[in-house]
Amino acid sequence: RRGLAKPAGPRSVRQLREAEEAAPVFQYAGKAAKRKDRVFVWGFCYSGALGVPSFVKPDVGWKKPRRIQPTPYRLETEEKISSAACGYGFTLLSSNTTDITKVWGMGLNKDSQLGFQRSIRDQTKGYEYVLEPSPIPLPLEKPQQTRVLQVSCGRAHSLILTDSEGVFTMGNNSYGQCGRKVVEDETYSESHLIHQLKEFDSRVVQVVCGQDHSLFRTKKGAVYACGWGADGQTGLGHYNITSVPTKLRGDIAGVNIIQVSSYGDCCLAVSDEGDVFGWGNSEYLQLASVTETTQVNVPRHLPFKIGKIKEAACGGTGNIVLTEEGNVFVWGYGILGKGPNLTETAVPEMIPPSLFGWSVFNPDIRVAHVRCGLSQFAALTNRGELFVWGKNLRGCLGTGRMEDQYFPWRVTVPGEVVDVACGVDHMVSMVKSF
Amino acid sequence: VRGPRFRQLKIGAGHRLDVKASGVFVLGIGHGNKLLTDLYNCHLTKVYTVGGLFGKATDDFSDTGKLVEKTTFDHITREKLERILAVIQGTNRKALLMHSNIDMKTQEAYELAVRGLIRPMGKSPPIITAVRCLQFALPEFQLEIHCMHETQQYLRKIVHEIGLELKSSAVCTQVRRIRDGVFTLDDALLRTQWNLQSIQNAIWDCQLKVKAELEKTL
Repeated sequence: RRGLAKPAGPRSVRQLREAEEAAPVFQYAGKAAKRKDRVFVWGFCYSGALGVPSFVKPDVGWKKPRRIQPTPYRLETEEKISSAACGYGFTLLSSNTTDITKVWGMGLNKDSQLGFQRSIRDQTKGYEYVLEPSPIPLPLEKPQQTRVLQVSCGRAHSLILTDSEGVFTMGNNSYGQCGRKVVEDETYSESHLIHQLKEFDSRVVQVVCGQDHSLFRTKKGAVYACGWGADGQTGLGHYNITSVPTKLRGDIAGVNIIQVSSYGDCCLAVSDEGDVFGWGNSEYLQLASVTETTQVNVPRHLPFKIGKIKEAACGGTGNIVLTEEGNVFVWGYGILGKGPNLTETAVPEMIPPSLFGWSVFNPDIRVAHVRCGLSQFAALTNRGELFVWGKNLRGCLGTGRMEDQYFPWRVTVPGEVVDVACGVDHMVSMVKSF
Repeated sequence: VRGPRFRQLKIGAGHRLDVKASGVFVLGIGHGNKLLTDLYNCHLTKVYTVGGLFGKATDDFSDTGKLVEKTTFDHITREKLERILAVIQGTNRKALLMHSNIDMKTQEAYELAVRGLIRPMGKSPPIITAVRCLQFALPEFQLEIHCMHETQQYLRKIVHEIGLELKSSAVCTQVRRIRDGVFTLDDALLRTQWNLQSIQNAIWDCQLKVKAELEKTL
């Protein structure tokens, strides 16, 4: 009798098929697998603005502190982050949850732009540098009902927008950019003061920080400003500082503004009809299409014939707009994105869509959002790809290289990029995993 | 072909096509071999239709290999597949620009990038210039892939990796080259047409195209 196992010769087709059908089936993702929300950061680490403590103070003795993070690095957060903003060396993250902790801050805190962060070592003092996302306590009346909609950061101040309790401001107020009266010789570091602004004509729906000024856009389409005005960036008709948010007039009086933007000393506003208005610094030809003066202190309509404008973003020396058709236009000074030859222009120039991945095989790729840092630009396509260009200050472009980028370059992020916030030398992006 | 004149005939082959794949295969005869090297230096893209099957993983990435694993695939939708294809195109686009050895800071680099003409003109790892999903019927799908400096095994590996990215697995059922530089399926001769007359006609028809392409690139 044959007790040995069958010889292991080449298996017949029938045997193979039977073995295949008998093999177990693995399931890695079910039908209802959800996509997770993640936050990626990159750029200059030493100020703590990236929120990863091991970059500045390594956990192991032999590791050197990391000065620059040149490619996107995942940041672990407790909650889903809905809005982020990068200031000059610090970052704010906010979530629209109804939990008590809604806003986290990290980075430079010398002017209490991240609120008061109580030091563990000495309970009376505060931290000057915050190395990981730390909760910012807000004096809310209804902390378990109010939601934080948006955050914005300037050079040394921050604005937090809530849905029912107005705007909270903190940080440096030497020019009235926090919307409260300037106090002589006030020390801003380790200050507990968080100011609340409620008196606007209607609910505030967007807050924007320039370098040392603040802009508020209300539901009725009006724009308020306060802060430093020497370049006319407050748009109130004078060049002095303003410490109380005041409504702007000029060419935007009566116009329903749907978006405002600013980061340096120039400001742009977009109306619901697709027109763009500008005011502030024009030393870099940002407003040279309407005036020769280098400072414009009243909002002026910019008569560009490039189509209906959907979104605008202001950088330090250059501006970018996105039209309804999905075309991107840049003007101003600096690395504008059309090669090293184009360094300044007063009239918007279009960036060819083929640089964003548009081709005969992918004709429905469109740019969905545009963002500006101080000397960088970022564009998000409808497929969730992020393209950056501009000066690569301390690795803030996230391309992995240290050279400046003269035309749009794709940043490799493992996921679909939903939003990005650009700062001076770092960037934060909100990403949905695949 | 027989006859006294056809004893010494040198035939050279264009880009390789392995045993399990099919499609356009370029041959050069006699003096045409010199054109073959010129065509190789043009570094033109080749187009393949690749068929895949979800749910299985094998050791050589094709459906005739030894089974490694079976997975579920009912969570895969066309949208998810297209998302993965977009990522593949994006990373390959970056690789394209990096391997083409052009200084990114020059204006001409920008001009070429706008027109999409940047290509690696030397040796480089396989690069995919475009991917498109032609058909999607679970568990099967078909892709059109434009690539350069690739091997068919690399394409099968890509299919396998797409399966992994979608949290499942995939094997490659078919690889067919439909275009090699200037030569398309229409120019190719079928098995039944492998006789002297049709070969001569085909060479005549393609001569102009080949000349134009060589002049454009070199």
